[in-house]
Amino acid sequence: MNTDIQALHLLERDLEAVAGRERDRLDSVGRTLEGGGPGAPRRLPRRGRGGSHAWSGVAAALVAVLVLAGGIGYLSQGGSDNGATPASGAADSVSTGAPQATTAPEDEAVRDQAVAPGTGGSIESPNERLHVDNDSALSYLDQVGGGDAAGSATRQGVGAVPAQQGDLTKIIRDGRIGIVIADGSFSKGVSRVTQIARSTGGFVLESSSRDERSGTLTLRIPANRFDDAMLALRGLAEELQGEVEFQDITGQDVTAEFIDLGARLEILQDRRDLLRDIQADATSSSEILRLAALIDDVTLQIENIQGRLKFLRDQVAEATIRVEVRERDVQPEDPGPDTENPSLADSFELAVQGFLRILGAIVIGLGYMIPLAVIALLVWGVITLARRRDRGAS
Amino acid sequence: MLEERTDSELLIASRTEPEAFTELYRRHAEDLLRYFARRTLDPETAAELTAETFAEAFASRANYRDQGVNGVAWLYGIARHRLGRFFRNGRVEAAARRKLGMPERDLAPQDYERIEDLIDFAPIREALVEALDTLNDEQRDALRLRVIDGLGYAEVAERLKCTEQNARQRVSRGLRKIALLLQERGMQLTTEVET
Repeated sequence: MNTDIQALHLLERDLEAVAGRERDRLDSVGRTLEGGGPGAPRRLPRRGRGGSHAWSGVAAALVAVLVLAGGIGYLSQGGSDNGATPASGAADSVSTGAPQATTAPEDEAVRDQAVAPGTGGSIESPNERLHVDNDSALSYLDQVGGGDAAGSATRQGVGAVPAQQGDLTKIIRDGRIGIVIADGSFSKGVSRVTQIARSTGGFVLESSSRDERSGTLTLRIPANRFDDAMLALRGLAEELQGEVEFQDITGQDVTAEFIDLGARLEILQDRRDLLRDIQADATSSSEILRLAALIDDVTLQIENIQGRLKFLRDQVAEATIRVEVRERDVQPEDPGPDTENPSLADSFELAVQGFLRILGAIVIGLGYMIPLAVIALLVWGVITLARRRDRGAS
Repeated sequence: MLEERTDSELLIASRTEPEAFTELYRRHAEDLLRYFARRTLDPETAAELTAETFAEAFASRANYRDQGVNGVAWLYGIARHRLGRFFRNGRVEAAARRKLGMPERDLAPQDYERIEDLIDFAPIREALVEALDTLNDEQRDALRLRVIDGLGYAEVAERLKCTEQNARQRVSRGLRKIALLLQERGMQLTTEVET
């Protein structure tokens, strides 16, 4: 090097020393590899710190893959946790024949009415077993003495909403009551609940029991007899030397939705009438077809609204009461950990559940990634081969 | 023969023949020192950056890929990166030298003048004079005598009544401060075309 700057000469000496040390390292590695034969490839190990960098790179890549897999798994599950928690697995109650048998006459009566000819089909309902049509609703409301506005509205048909707006209050009521009764009195308790449902004009929609010592019944009661039914159920606790464990009553006001749907229905019906008039005067086939399509569209909207109105009326006309009955020495069902205010044990349980869910999501995500990894591996292989070929050619 | 190889060939060869790297050093060390000196205006900083750049290049020579670009461009890529970090942090890092077990060396007294000779102050003289006000009295006086008046360090020391080493330090620190300031203001410190 042709320079009189001493610093550069010193630096050259330092670099030569570094190169010398590196040469020694390579030689020692070469000697180690010679055991694999003279033609053995000389893949050089990294320096100590370089090795740790390599490991941290591998660890970072692994973490990235796991996070990616977790994300894919989470998305593949619909992006939400809709699975039941393990702690709530106790809810897998077994339906028994006994309570169903006692309620069969009522249920069958309703179901028979549900298949009356010339009706609009099933009504959207929280429980698919409840199929009630226009006519059956009429007869049923007559049977339960439903002289309220909802009943009269049903009687006049779903298109007659504006005519029954005298009663503007439409509330869907739901109740839930837990009764603890004396040991050995479960069957009697179920029988009495069924009687209460019948005496208040309702019926047992659904029932299930566990070991014939505890169970749940879902009652459908005419809305105007809801309070009577709740009172009678409270009385049942005393009657069977038990007590009321809990009681919840909720009400959902659907008045606004009711009025809104009624107004929209009236407008749509007017529009359909108008379209039909125009269609009657139409002369060209293309115009007739276009109008028919418009009428179909409006009719579809009308039917949607009528269906919703019918469902709401049914919900308003009948309240739902969920009755949980258990004998005194039967432990109540574990409702699962309280996620809003968990105890230490619940927190641990939630943590384990969370860990297992994330693990599950990662496993699912890895399943999705395997085909992608195979494709990536193939691409990498092709590129590597091409590079080697190029180097060989050069 | 190493002398006959191109820069790229030397870099690739240095993976298994480390001594090939010293040939690359010999070819480009002074140019790289000039590159740094003209941008930092400070001999000490320029020498440190040169050493750190070569150390980093040696440590990462396995990452060099011959993609039709001259090996020296790769070297100057590292240099630009080092220089950028110096202007951001105001100091020269020594991580690569430590990693290779290289000592951090002080400049020999005569090197200050040698390296300053590599700096072409003419294009930035005006900016330099304007920036003198940002220095303290000692640094400003030393810098004016050395760079504006062109006196040697022995004379500068005599005029300022201090040792030569002290005079060098004042000039060096003053130049470094000005280089950082001008860089901060976005002023081009050199008209040299980068490799």
